[in-house]
Amino acid sequence: MDKAEIKKKLNDIESLPTLPPIVSKLNEMVADEDITAVKLGKVIEKDQVLTSKLLKMVNSSFFGFPQRISTVSNAIVLLGFNVIKTLIVTSSIFEVMQASDVGLFEHSLGCATACGIIARIREIKNPEEVSTAGLIHDLGKIVIRSELPEEYVAIVEKAREKGLYMREVEKERLGIGHGEIGGMLARQWNLPERLVFPIEYHHRPEVAPEFKEIAAIVHFSDILIRALGFGDGGDPWVPGLDHSAWARIKLTRSQMREIIAELDEKLVELQDFTLDIKVEG
Amino acid sequence: MVLAKDAVTPEGQVLCGAGTELNEELIVKLRKQGVLVLSVKGRPVRAPGEKSLSERLKELDSRFAKVRRDPVLRALQHLIGEYWVVEEKGQEFLDKLKKETR
Ligand SMILES: [Fe+2]
Ligand SMILES: [Fe+2]
Repeated sequence: MDKAEIKKKLNDIESLPTLPPIVSKLNEMVADEDITAVKLGKVIEKDQVLTSKLLKMVNSSFFGFPQRISTVSNAIVLLGFNVIKTLIVTSSIFEVMQASDVGLFEHSLGCATACGIIARIREIKNPEEVSTAGLIHDLGKIVIRSELPEEYVAIVEKAREKGLYMREVEKERLGIGHGEIGGMLARQWNLPERLVFPIEYHHRPEVAPEFKEIAAIVHFSDILIRALGFGDGGDPWVPGLDHSAWARIKLTRSQMREIIAELDEKLVELQDFTLDIKVEG
Repeated sequence: MVLAKDAVTPEGQVLCGAGTELNEELIVKLRKQGVLVLSVKGRPVRAPGEKSLSERLKELDSRFAKVRRDPVLRALQHLIGEYWVVEEKGQEFLDKLKKETR
């Protein structure tokens, strides 16, 4: 299999849930300059299930937003449209993931949490955006699993047998790693580049054409969450560190202690987080 | 057991401050008022299936098997290990341990 074939596969994706129709409507609305968060919020709020899912996500501990967010328009104002849109686009993917691969689901939530903590320490302008990038950084793994199930099994088996990173075997068998695959799909979904690049380059953040700092934070958060042993990223190994990326975010020993303590505490709360929502009324 | 963080309702209302001594009656009361999570100091109980400290440290070490030569990641491994030791046994235990191994 090669890149072109995979790209083709992504174009007529079958088993992954399709984008909710509301997404294209929202995209159109955002293109309109006079649009307000309140108007956008109203459109989303017509969908009760989507609204309760969204509010559950934005209020969960992986965003760590200090105050409670109770309406969609509030969420748009506080977290930005990029974040809300990404959550809408990926919510169905996460349902699939929660059902088929809880380990990867937990790994993603944990990585998002770490991203938020580090982004705040680094005083990044919109830390929730970095959390969101962390949440979907392994999107490519879900794609391989659902679109190329036989390849997926073969990759997992070989990685386990030879004690390799999943990524190494992906490259060998598909000619491309899950980072790039995730990036392709994110681009196809028109997610903003601030999110596409960090997904695509989370294993080699310094190659990212832009948003290297966000990519570096996702890169290190992925390492950190694997180091703590929370969730399951497919193989049991802590990924290698890109030292230029590390130089970019350079955290001191005492900052690292702070991050580990805060993360460990938040992971306890995350353990009961699921997307299953009972809609009342 | 002592509260490590304020007990808050999902709406953000603080019902009890950090440092409050907990008892069964109080926990039931907080639950009735909608509090879903309480953080307590230390690790008073081990959840069923939770691994012992030495098992966790051993697994931590094996996860780092492929990156042993990286000094930054080695430091990370130590920081995580130390955090777990202090959390379970206290700072003094770690200090003693460090002295002994020096
Ligand atoms: Fe990855
Ligand atoms: Fe990952």
